[in-house]
Amino acid sequence: MKRPLLISLALLVVSGGIYWWIAESSRPVDFNTQVKPILNKRCITCHGGVKRESEYSLLFRKEAMDKGKSGKLAIIAGDAAHSELIKRINASDPEERMPYKKDPLTKEEIEILTKWIDQGAPWGDHWAYTKVESPEVPAASSWTKNSIDQFILEKMDEHDLSPSPQASNEMLLRRVSLDLTGLPADEKVQKDFLQGKLSYENLVDSLLNSPHYGERWASVWLDLARYADTKGYERDDSRTIWRYRDWVINAFNRDMPYDSFLIEQLAGDLLPNPTDNQYLATAFHRNSMTNDEGGTDNEEFRTAAVLDRVNTTWEGLMGTTFACVQCHSHPYDPFRQEEYYKFMAFFNNTRDEDTEADYPLLRHLEKGDEEKLKEITDWVKKNTSEEKAREVYTFVKTGQPAINSLLSDRFVNAELSDTKWLVFRNHGVARLAHVDVTNKNFLIYRFASFKPGGTWTIHLDKPDGPVIKQLVLPETKSWVTEEVSITPFAGTHDLYFTYVNPNLKKAEDSGVLFDWFYFTDYSVKRVTENNIGKNYWELVTKNFPTTPIMMENPPSMKRTTQVFRRGNWLVKTDTVQADVPASLNPIPASMPHNRLGLAQWMVSEDNPLVSRTIVNRVWEQLFGIGLVETLEDMGTQGMPPTHPELLNYLSYHLMHDDQWSLKKLVREIVLSATYRQDSKVTEAHLTKDPLNKFYARAPRVRLSAEQVRDQALAVSGLLSNKMFGPSVMPYQPGGIWLSPWNGATWKISKGEDRHRRALYTYWKRTAPYPSMMTFDGSAREVCTARRIRTNTPLQALVMLNDSVYVEASYQLAALMQKSAKTLEEQIKFGYTRAIGHAPSSEVVKALAQLYTRTAETMEVKRVNNSKPAKNNRKENAMMLVASAILNLDEFVTKN
Amino acid sequence: MSHESLEQITRRLFLKECGLGLGSLALGSLWGCSTDKPKTLFNALNPLQTRAPHFPGKAKSVIYLHMAGAPSQLELFDFKPELQKLDGQDCPPSLLEGKKFAFIRGVPKMLGPKAKFAQHGQSGAWISENLPHLSTVADEITFLKAVQTDQFNHAPAQLLMHTGSPRLGRPSMGAWVTYGLGSENNNLPGFVVLTSGGKNPDAGKSVWGSGFLPSVYQGVQCRSEGDPVLFINDPQGIERNERRASIDAINEINQQHYKDVGDPEILSRIAQYEMAYRMQIAVPEVMNINDEPKYIHEMYGTHPGKESFANNVLLARKLVEKGVRFVQLFDWGWDSHGTDANLAIDIGFINKCRQTDKAVTALLLDLKQRGLLDETLVIWGGEFGRTPMQENREGKQNPFIGRDHHTEAFTIWMAGGGIKKGLSYGETDEIGYAAVKGKTSTYDVQATILNQLGFNHEQLTYDFQGRPFRLTDVHGKVINEIIT
Repeated sequence: MKRPLLISLALLVVSGGIYWWIAESSRPVDFNTQVKPILNKRCITCHGGVKRESEYSLLFRKEAMDKGKSGKLAIIAGDAAHSELIKRINASDPEERMPYKKDPLTKEEIEILTKWIDQGAPWGDHWAYTKVESPEVPAASSWTKNSIDQFILEKMDEHDLSPSPQASNEMLLRRVSLDLTGLPADEKVQKDFLQGKLSYENLVDSLLNSPHYGERWASVWLDLARYADTKGYERDDSRTIWRYRDWVINAFNRDMPYDSFLIEQLAGDLLPNPTDNQYLATAFHRNSMTNDEGGTDNEEFRTAAVLDRVNTTWEGLMGTTFACVQCHSHPYDPFRQEEYYKFMAFFNNTRDEDTEADYPLLRHLEKGDEEKLKEITDWVKKNTSEEKAREVYTFVKTGQPAINSLLSDRFVNAELSDTKWLVFRNHGVARLAHVDVTNKNFLIYRFASFKPGGTWTIHLDKPDGPVIKQLVLPETKSWVTEEVSITPFAGTHDLYFTYVNPNLKKAEDSGVLFDWFYFTDYSVKRVTENNIGKNYWELVTKNFPTTPIMMENPPSMKRTTQVFRRGNWLVKTDTVQADVPASLNPIPASMPHNRLGLAQWMVSEDNPLVSRTIVNRVWEQLFGIGLVETLEDMGTQGMPPTHPELLNYLSYHLMHDDQWSLKKLVREIVLSATYRQDSKVTEAHLTKDPLNKFYARAPRVRLSAEQVRDQALAVSGLLSNKMFGPSVMPYQPGGIWLSPWNGATWKISKGEDRHRRALYTYWKRTAPYPSMMTFDGSAREVCTARRIRTNTPLQALVMLNDSVYVEASYQLAALMQKSAKTLEEQIKFGYTRAIGHAPSSEVVKALAQLYTRTAETMEVKRVNNSKPAKNNRKENAMMLVASAILNLDEFVTKN
Repeated sequence: MSHESLEQITRRLFLKECGLGLGSLALGSLWGCSTDKPKTLFNALNPLQTRAPHFPGKAKSVIYLHMAGAPSQLELFDFKPELQKLDGQDCPPSLLEGKKFAFIRGVPKMLGPKAKFAQHGQSGAWISENLPHLSTVADEITFLKAVQTDQFNHAPAQLLMHTGSPRLGRPSMGAWVTYGLGSENNNLPGFVVLTSGGKNPDAGKSVWGSGFLPSVYQGVQCRSEGDPVLFINDPQGIERNERRASIDAINEINQQHYKDVGDPEILSRIAQYEMAYRMQIAVPEVMNINDEPKYIHEMYGTHPGKESFANNVLLARKLVEKGVRFVQLFDWGWDSHGTDANLAIDIGFINKCRQTDKAVTALLLDLKQRGLLDETLVIWGGEFGRTPMQENREGKQNPFIGRDHHTEAFTIWMAGGGIKKGLSYGETDEIGYAAVKGKTSTYDVQATILNQLGFNHEQLTYDFQGRPFRLTDVHGKVINEIIT
């Protein structure tokens, strides 16, 4: 009887196997998760966007289904046996077999491709390029607090993990305070929460409403915006653009909806009658670098800035690497080379031209001046037209549209001085090409003249053509703005400037420098009524603080955009019009094809990338790792999302239910049970999920460079709460700034400015603040979509020895000594203040031992020698204790 | 916590996750772990662990002497008697048409060599009177006389030379090497930078930055004034035993914390504090040149306590002796435009030669006498060359004699580390304007340096923005003609 049983068992197994086999082979192959990875890994290096060996590419479906050089169809949908691709991967002749001269595909890979073609070779769109839809939310449980947890729990179940218990109130308090404001909560809030007077929800709301919230999240944004206080490259001179930093802080604090936040930064200048703040927001893309090195080609670096804006827009705001499309079609993702340049055309029509002054600038009028400007524009509106009034307003606010003198050419006894400004010697000639002078009877210009008696003549079309203006320039010694009347002509003309000055004795002596020229058909300066003209000229010539902004060229100055061959800006080929890649949602017909239309396209609900990118970034800030780990690349070569449905859920809700409110997004995440877990790592965690991709515990993440510093200043009582304003220079060791050709020096700020939050630190691109760089801060030369955290001995040296931390240690030590009588109590006080919970007896013992060991042996002179030596010994010993606390792993880590 | 036991933990952890052997222990990023990316070498918990290159390299370490500002090849190595005959004549239009220069405008005059040349050594290398010391070791050197670049401004050209791209954001050569090889010395950084001449190089700290590589691979600047490494010195009044006591307390508490929360990252932090403590001893030790014998000081022309190129060269020798992989020197002040006396080809330039000639020569001799020259690759060069024309900024004569930036041909030399001795490779035309034979690019120089260290430059890659990046971008071939 036994035998038949065995046989039937065996039959069962076999038939089960067959059943499994049938089920498996009829199961549809998924293009994105099964086929595309094989193509990317094995085929696309030679048959993709970069190389199209044998005229065959597998990047787009249309190409893949085509014939290669051999003339045979590579893929015949539904017929793998006759598909050349399948024949070639199976071929035995090494000259035939693909991949050519590389390892053959595995049996499994061949099987997947064969099945896929037999099933009709359906092409799939990569997840990140498909519209965000609201997914079904998995079931709730007793553990879950909101929908986030339901998604998280489902994945935990799949991986045989279960949630950790909720973190202690102390741990939660410190974690959520650092996450939301970058600082420990203020003492009253701490006390109220720990004593149960404040619920966790109310704690979260109070943190979201703290002005420190905006400061903390601005730090994140400024990495994307590559915000810095210098222009970069060789000279790396200072740039006044901190008002943009303050705009970002305010926008976060006001919880400006993310769609408006992006629209204003990308295209605030193109909004109807933009406000100062909307202009200011566009400084986002003026954080690109300007090259002031003498001898540099301004067009080259203007182009470099435009390319940087394209790359930043994609990498920072759309989580897509686009830079490689500059030279060739994307190797893996569905973007063609000419699409890069179509996209670049959106950014290629702005007024900035790598000028030394960083034109165009928003001029920040002072109190009273705004009223004067209003009187002027009201008068102009009444007496001419609203359009004219707008022109006058724009010119006073921005000095645009002016023609920069660095565009001049055809020099004789003239040149671009230091390749920046047009300079004339005696008998000099230069051309300003293609100027629309129709009806322009006034010229406002900025110049500096070194010798009196120079005659400046403006000719039409030729160096000796009709004269539209001739005048003698006075000696000015410095930059001066003037207005003159000129003879108007119709049309666009080349203007030739000539300059003669008999007072210039030597042929190589320079007589005059020009900065810019503004041609207009209307002179407000000449209006005598109500001081309008006088006030106007005062506003035009006064030195106001400024910020670089984006402004579009007027139609007469529009640039065309051409494809660069292999990314080389000197080799320009086909002309293209502004557009977005065809593989994404199109720009709706109602929107203009300019930066404003582009911004609206980005925040439209059809755009698959923008909402996912910001949700992923916020998640990464709170959990230390993104739902897609590669924040900079959600494309096919990036990491796949660990929780795709959760990413879609949060993205969808951000756009639809929460009206792009980032505070609501942050709130929902930190209120989840997932976020509130303990961070203890168990043996089971290490076995099943060592990298914590499934969130069965809260992450332990080292704090950011800014948080490390701010927290140390806060717990030692040194931190200044002052917000906004010019960047500050806290203590920095000597000899860090040694820029060539630039006398700039680091002058340590006075008073509380030495102890401001890290984001207010002066950010010099070629020599960034060293201790922050040691903690993986960004030099902000280009967009940094993700900081990679490291753990190095140099970080230990900063925490132990940088004067900032030494000072903080002394301060904390002083607070400890004041707090209680006994050493033990003092240690408990300091530790609790810094770490957020009471120390264990072992910790107290270790720190007390440090104190006694050093207090006994030490014979030290305090840095500040004003106190008697006896006390110094104790203070120094306590300083070492405080310093040890600030150096603990628990202090530099979010637990 | 010893390195070995840390290794054990790290290894156990990642073997489980990635199913990889220790030899290929690899992470896409700090937390990432993808078997699709076997080429990325970064190990988050021990990023500087020693690693074997692709094949046994002839050089173990590199000393790169960069003369920032770009020295004139026409007054040092590229002897052009024909140019002398044209001195003072208008530059022919054929050399100007379709060309762009940083400062030359209109028609400049040709400028003959402002130095006397002679042949030296068995190899008969042409070296000018500006380098009397180097002339004596000509037979140790290979000169590349037809190096080309495509950047004629300092910052972009320096970036191209050291990062493979004229724009910011790429890792520097030293960072790539450290990423590829790790560090041999647990107490010293793997990649050290020394600057002299009173200024940082034009491109700033990006020329030794880590770009998109983890920041642990960036060059660590060692300084002859102030702290030799930033923050290496204990605060005033804190003695070594007190520092020891404080690190003991920190590590003891961290150890307890590890027992409570079990995060292996804590173990790494403990190890980093130990290494910091060791660095505090090792760095000042290696940076102190006072104890070098008198004959060494005389040989190099060093003056302890001052910031000088000679001191940095001696430090470079000490650092490679201690196992530092890549020592990068920048000496500022070689930009001989003729706009002032310091930048005149017949005044300031000669001073720069005098400040450096002895030390560079001493470095080769000293490495040789210690048996280190064979395994140390020494490179000398600038970011581009200088024009055979005299600079006429804004189309008028400069106050002093100088030359403009020149991209089409310049000289770099290499010695030691498996490079042929007494060779001159590449030629320029009779006036030193264009490269005509044996042309090499900045990428070829990079490929060759990596090759000498045992790397195939096409395979030392790091995945970023969805594709593998490398130092040489899509260019570069090893200059096999100069390798032993």
